[in-house]
Amino acid sequence: MSIDDERDLHERLDGAVEAIAPRPAPVDGVMRRGRVIRWRRRAVAVAAVAVVAAGAVAVPSLRHAAAQHQPATSHYTATVQAPGPHSPPGLIASGTVNGQRWALTAGRPGAGGAGRGQQFVIASGPAFGPDGTTDSAPAFAAPATEPVSFTGIVCGPSQAAYGPVAADVSYVAVRLGNGIVLTLHPVRVYGVRLVGFAIPVSAPVVSATAYSARGEIATAIPFSDGGISSFVTWLRPGQSGLARASGLVGSGSYLGKAWSVRAYLGPWGACLVGQAGGEAAGSSCEEVTSVSRNGTGMWLWTGGDPALAMGSAGPSVARIAVTSPDGKTTQVHPVAVGGVRFFAFAFGQGPKHWKWTAYDGSGHAITSGDVVPT
Amino acid sequence: MSAQLDTEFREFMHGRWPAMVRLAYALTGDQGHAEDVAQAAFARAYASWPKVRRTGNPEAYVRRIVINENRNRFRKQRVTERLTDTPPEPGSGAGAGPGADATSQYDERSALMAALRRLGPRQRAVVVLRYWLGLTEAEAAAELNCSVGTVKSQASRALATLRQSTELVDGGSQ
Repeated sequence: MSIDDERDLHERLDGAVEAIAPRPAPVDGVMRRGRVIRWRRRAVAVAAVAVVAAGAVAVPSLRHAAAQHQPATSHYTATVQAPGPHSPPGLIASGTVNGQRWALTAGRPGAGGAGRGQQFVIASGPAFGPDGTTDSAPAFAAPATEPVSFTGIVCGPSQAAYGPVAADVSYVAVRLGNGIVLTLHPVRVYGVRLVGFAIPVSAPVVSATAYSARGEIATAIPFSDGGISSFVTWLRPGQSGLARASGLVGSGSYLGKAWSVRAYLGPWGACLVGQAGGEAAGSSCEEVTSVSRNGTGMWLWTGGDPALAMGSAGPSVARIAVTSPDGKTTQVHPVAVGGVRFFAFAFGQGPKHWKWTAYDGSGHAITSGDVVPT
Repeated sequence: MSAQLDTEFREFMHGRWPAMVRLAYALTGDQGHAEDVAQAAFARAYASWPKVRRTGNPEAYVRRIVINENRNRFRKQRVTERLTDTPPEPGSGAGAGPGADATSQYDERSALMAALRRLGPRQRAVVVLRYWLGLTEAEAAAELNCSVGTVKSQASRALATLRQSTELVDGGSQ
């Protein structure tokens, strides 16, 4: 068999794809999972409000500088311990946050209504508030390239991160802003080696370093937004990543509501963080290790009031034309932060698509897409 | 969410589930992973269903999530995809069945999917959008949030890789 032309490829793809017989639509499981997503959105919003109310971060635009460069507070404690021989099945880790107990437990893949290929993770204990939370995600598997693949959650007054580790990881050291170092020992849970920890939602994680029997494998310096630390970029020994920089990408007022988008660059990669109507609107981080590899693309668009769109612009992009559903076009110009060019704009409420097109200096369209305030 | 909206979502998902699983299968090359991706996409759509339904084209919305979910899984989690030297075991996969013809068809399909798995996620997405769904270069670029030039170059490289793929040249009949 060979691929002689595009039609040949189409026919072969068609044959391969049409031959599969999907199992019946797991509607109930999907709806349960959708409700969890909605619940998590509310939980994150509540946690962010709680952090602001506590005075840990008074000025939104300073939040990340505080989170990344100095502890919001040093008056907290956190411990973690791996499961012992008599621990309940599925336990990833347990410990305390400010003296209150927590536990992270994985469900058996596919069990408990998780659906085929899915797995629940249950955050329980007083440290996670009165109710705890249940997160559903694709079943764990060892990461192929990075040493640890963390998933972050916020629940009540605590944040947690958990995930599978690569085969050569002996332990992971998580360094917190007040000097506490949590040592995570992988435990095999339903065939996959996992680690997990919990800390106060306002406690910054300085770094997570994965070690093998021979020494350091890689270190991730996370970016924190809304209490969730994003471990996107793992730096090997000797790698420095991007230099730290931050700046305003865009701001303004849309239908009477103030909005802004700021970029934060550093060893964590590049992150764009939006604020709309005085509230956190969403953020997105990318594994960027070199400014020269910056391309053009939309990273994230949010719902909210107003909705925000944000992305990166390659070196040839001169402007971005944003066209509303009724045909009105406005121009947005890329802004460089730390050598990486970004763009952002606010757009309206409602279900209709807005179009954006990036043009070069000669007026040639480079790329385009659409966003919808959902 | 109201019972009426739930009923509406159920009907939508029942109707579009096979198409989205097939799209995800073309992107992932694995039926189990495809169903994971499709489930995640529908769950996200359900989480925002009141707004998604107002777009007037919820299928397009879910399709874009499928593409992004697959890309995100590859980029951030990297937990679901392993390159292997051998095609997956027959049995529960596509086209498994008795007889020489079925085996031959299975070998051909598995060889194609094994060759696709050797492409990067973006090249694979370009191949699927351009040569299976039949989108134009501009439409594929819009779906992938990249330039038309990128689609062209990625498609060209992908086709070159597929033409040189040992799985396809050898006929996938190991």
